[in-house]
Amino acid sequence: MRPTSWREHAYHALLWLVALIFFAPIFWIVLSSFKTADQILAVPPKLIFTPTIANYTKLFSSASFPHQLFNSVVLSVAAVLIAVAVSFLAAFSFSRFKPPGTNFLMFLLLSIRMLPGSAAILPVYLMYVGFGWKDTYAGMILFYAMFSIPFSVWILKGFIDGVSPRFDETGIVNGASWLRIITRTILPQVMPGVIAASIFNFIFVWNEFLFNYIIGGISTSNIPVALASGLYSNGGVDWTFISALTSVYIVPPILVVYFFQRYLLVGMTFGTVRGEV
Amino acid sequence: MEPGAPATINQSRDAPVASTGPWEGFTRFLGRRDVLPFLLLAPVLIFFIVWNLIPTLWLLGLGFYRFSLTSGRPPRFAGLYNYRSILNDSGVWIDLSRTFLFVFFAVVTETLLGMALGLLFWNSHRLPGRRIALTMLFSPMVLTPVAAGTFWRLIYDPTFGVLNSAIRGLGFSSVDFLGDGRVAFAAVLGVDVWMWTPFMVLMTLAALASVPKAELEAAEIDRLAWHQRLRLIVLHHGKFILMLGILLRTIDAFKTMDLIYDMTYGGPGSATQLVAMTLYRRAFEAFNMGWSSALAVILLLISIAFTATFIFVLHWRERREAES
Repeated sequence: MRPTSWREHAYHALLWLVALIFFAPIFWIVLSSFKTADQILAVPPKLIFTPTIANYTKLFSSASFPHQLFNSVVLSVAAVLIAVAVSFLAAFSFSRFKPPGTNFLMFLLLSIRMLPGSAAILPVYLMYVGFGWKDTYAGMILFYAMFSIPFSVWILKGFIDGVSPRFDETGIVNGASWLRIITRTILPQVMPGVIAASIFNFIFVWNEFLFNYIIGGISTSNIPVALASGLYSNGGVDWTFISALTSVYIVPPILVVYFFQRYLLVGMTFGTVRGEV
Repeated sequence: MEPGAPATINQSRDAPVASTGPWEGFTRFLGRRDVLPFLLLAPVLIFFIVWNLIPTLWLLGLGFYRFSLTSGRPPRFAGLYNYRSILNDSGVWIDLSRTFLFVFFAVVTETLLGMALGLLFWNSHRLPGRRIALTMLFSPMVLTPVAAGTFWRLIYDPTFGVLNSAIRGLGFSSVDFLGDGRVAFAAVLGVDVWMWTPFMVLMTLAALASVPKAELEAAEIDRLAWHQRLRLIVLHHGKFILMLGILLRTIDAFKTMDLIYDMTYGGPGSATQLVAMTLYRRAFEAFNMGWSSALAVILLLISIAFTATFIFVLHWRERREAES
C-alpha cells in the first residue's frame, strides 16, 4: 500500500463533504427535535443551544404514538413475510417449470407496480368499501403483501435462475420431496435475494402513506399518516412533534441501509442489476 | 432444462416406495410435473386475481359509467362520456404536461448529477468510514416522502426557514419558495433531486463496477484522454445499467405524489399539481369515481408503455451479453 498523499486526503475530504451535504437536511430534522418550539422557529436559526428531550418524552407519552408505531411495524413485517414466502414459491415455479404465460405474467406483475399510487388504489378502495375490508389489519396486510409481490418475484426469479437445476435433479434422484428440495437446497443458495427483497419491500411499506391513508383508518393508520394528519395543533404546524417523530421513524431504514448496503442495489432495481458498489 | 433430465426424474418417482398410504398418494399427486408448477404459483395467482385483476376490471368498467359517491345515485352507463370529458378538459392536459416536464427535469438533473458524483466516488475504496459516508449519502432515499415534504416546508419557509436565512445573509431578499407560483415548481423539483440523485449515484457505481479492469489498464497504457475512456470504455460497458436506472427513475418520478401531498398539496394554484395529485383530488375529494376511473385507465396505459420499454432494454442487454 502506498502512503496516503495530500491529494488523497483532499479527495477523501471532498467525498465526505458530498455525503454530508446530502445528509444535512436529515441532520437538521434531528437537530430540531432537540429544540423547543421557539428555538425551531428562531431567526436566525440556532446551531448552538441547550438540547432538550422534552419532545421525545411528549411523543412517547402521547396516546396515539405507540399504537401507530405498532401498526407500522406489524404492517411492514407481516406484509413482507407473506409476500416473500409466496413470491419465493412462484419464482421457483417460473424459473424451473416455465408454465405457459410466464413472461406475460411477469410483465403484468411489474406494470401494476409502475402505476401511480392514486390510480392503483382507486378500484381497491371501492372494493374494500364494498366488502367492508377497510381499516382491517387483514385487509391492509394483504394489500401491502400484494404490492410487495411483483418486485419480490422479480428479484427471486433472477436468483433462482442462477442456481443450477442439477441441484434439483440430485435431490430427486436421492428421493427428496420437492418441498425438501425447495426449502433445503434452493432457499439457502438464494438467501441474498430473499434479504434484498425483504429489505426493499420493508422500506417501501414502512414509508408508505397514500394507501394507508385511503384504505386504512383510525385503528390501522401508520406513522406517515400520523405525520400528515397530525400536523396542525392550535392553528400552527407542530414542528417539535414532526421533528421528533421523523427522527425516530428514520432510524430503522438508516440501520437497514448501513447493515445491508450491498443488498440495496439489487433491491432497488428488483434484481435486474447486480454488483458491488 | 436438459431434455434428458425429466426422464430420470419420472423413473425415480415411479419406482415403488416402501409405504403407499393415501397420504403418500396425495403428496405424489402434488409433486407431479403438471400439478406442482401451478400449486407453487397458486398463492401469487390468488393475490393477483383478488387484488389486481378484479380491481382492474372494475376500473375498466367503471370508466364507462357516470358514478359519483356524493350524489347517492347508482352508476349510470355513459359510454365514452368520461373519456371524452377528459380529452376536452384542458386542466388535465396541463397537469399531464406539467408531470412530464417534472419527470424530464428531475431525471435529467438527477442523472447528470448522479453520474458526476458516481464518478467522483469511483476510487473511494480507501475512504475512511466509507460505509457511514455512503449510508449518509443514500439516506434521503429511505426517508418517508411525507416527512421529507413536511420538513422541507420548514426549510423553505420565507421567515423561519434556514434557507432564507442564508439568502438574507448573502444580502438578498427572502424568497417564498412554496408560496410563489413561479418558483414552487422548481422548489419541489429541488427536493426530488435531493431525494433521488443518490439513486443515480448508486446506479453509476454499479455501472462503473461492471467495467472490466483490464480494459481500463489498457487505456492507461495507451494514454487515452479521459473523455475517450469515458465514452469508449465506461459508457460502452455501463450503458445498460445506466439506461435501466434512468427508466426506473422516470417511472418513479411519474408517480410522485406523497412528497407533494404535504409540501404544497399541488399549490399554489395548480403550480405543482402533478397528475397523480389531480387523480387523488378528483377521486378522494370530489368522489367523482367514474371520471377518475377513466383517468386511471389512461395512466395505466402510460405505465404499461413505460414497463414495456423497461423490459425491452432488459432483453436487449441479455441479447448483447449473449453475443459477447
